Amino acid sequence: MTRWFEDITIDEAFPLGSHTFTEDEIVRFARDYDPQYFHLPNAGAEHSHFGGVIASGWHTVVVGHRKMVDALAAEEQRLRGLGQEPGESGPGAGVNRMEFKSPVRPGDTVTYTLVVSAKRPSNSLPGWGILTNQLSAVNQRGEPVYHAELIGFSKLRDFKMPLRLRILEALTKIPGLGRLLLGSR
Amino acid sequence: MNPITADRRHFEDLVLGEVVGLGQVTVTRQMITAFAREFDPFPFHLDEEAAKKSLLGGLAASGWQTGALTLRLLTDAFLSKIASAGGLGFSDLKWKRPVMKNDTITGTGRITELRRSRSHPQWGVVTIELDMRNQANQPVMTMKLANLVETRDPVEPQPAQSYDVETGRGS
Repeated sequence: MTRWFEDITIDEAFPLGSHTFTEDEIVRFARDYDPQYFHLPNAGAEHSHFGGVIASGWHTVVVGHRKMVDALAAEEQRLRGLGQEPGESGPGAGVNRMEFKSPVRPGDTVTYTLVVSAKRPSNSLPGWGILTNQLSAVNQRGEPVYHAELIGFSKLRDFKMPLRLRILEALTKIPGLGRLLLGSR
Repeated sequence: MNPITADRRHFEDLVLGEVVGLGQVTVTRQMITAFAREFDPFPFHLDEEAAKKSLLGGLAASGWQTGALTLRLLTDAFLSKIASAGGLGFSDLKWKRPVMKNDTITGTGRITELRRSRSHPQWGVVTIELDMRNQANQPVMTMKLANLVETRDPVEPQPAQSYDVETGRGS
């Protein structure tokens, strides 16, 4: 999220855009990462209950991640255009759950939407907030493709470092003592 | 009968607690940047100089690439050898430590749950807990993956006796 923690609205839907999956890219991803017979051509996919080639669930997920990265970059540009300083997002910490709902076939178009359902300041990372992100993907018929609950980080704009952390930081800058303090962690 | 999966292990052949050893893969600079260009174009996955200045301190693979490579190792060692009917998803995925350029990752998968689908008797669900490590045996990622597996016999064998927790009565 390229908004400051304080500016993130709970339950607001961010459209992330759409992606149409070609057979070529489905097969290319499957060859690298998920070479099961129902993801490959001429491997007997017609015998599976899918009745033909479908995309790896993980492929639909990483494309969703790409759409999120692109949407955040666009939001950053938009905020800069308004003369504002954009916030900062941290690396993903994990995925609470990922549920594949229906298969993606060659030619299907998947539309992705992000909703932040909860946020709280982090205890372990001072200056950062923890976000609970809901990512949903639906196909051109409105059928759910997957739903994910992911954990993300966003920087606090109004964070003031507590006095004891500022003192610790100053002490670590003293040669010798700093190494002692940091080394003892 | 599915001719592709006929000779593979089916749901009934899987054993609770079974541990699957995965192969290994060394993650090169080229692999990291190729994946990042397509799916995760952040500077710390694309550019070595930018990566050195980042929190990660060097070129690191996208966490999603670590996940995808884990899927590949699991496919080769397990999913391609059972009558897999597709993934249901995963849960509790935790990225523990970044995978850096030239790290070699491997791991294990343990079957922690086996249950039959109530609505689709032709399938069972296997849950596999994955524990991925780098060459220094440090954890890089854990997750629980759920996958559908074809059953040989769609009728679940009934236990000779059952015990009703609600009423406390045996039958």
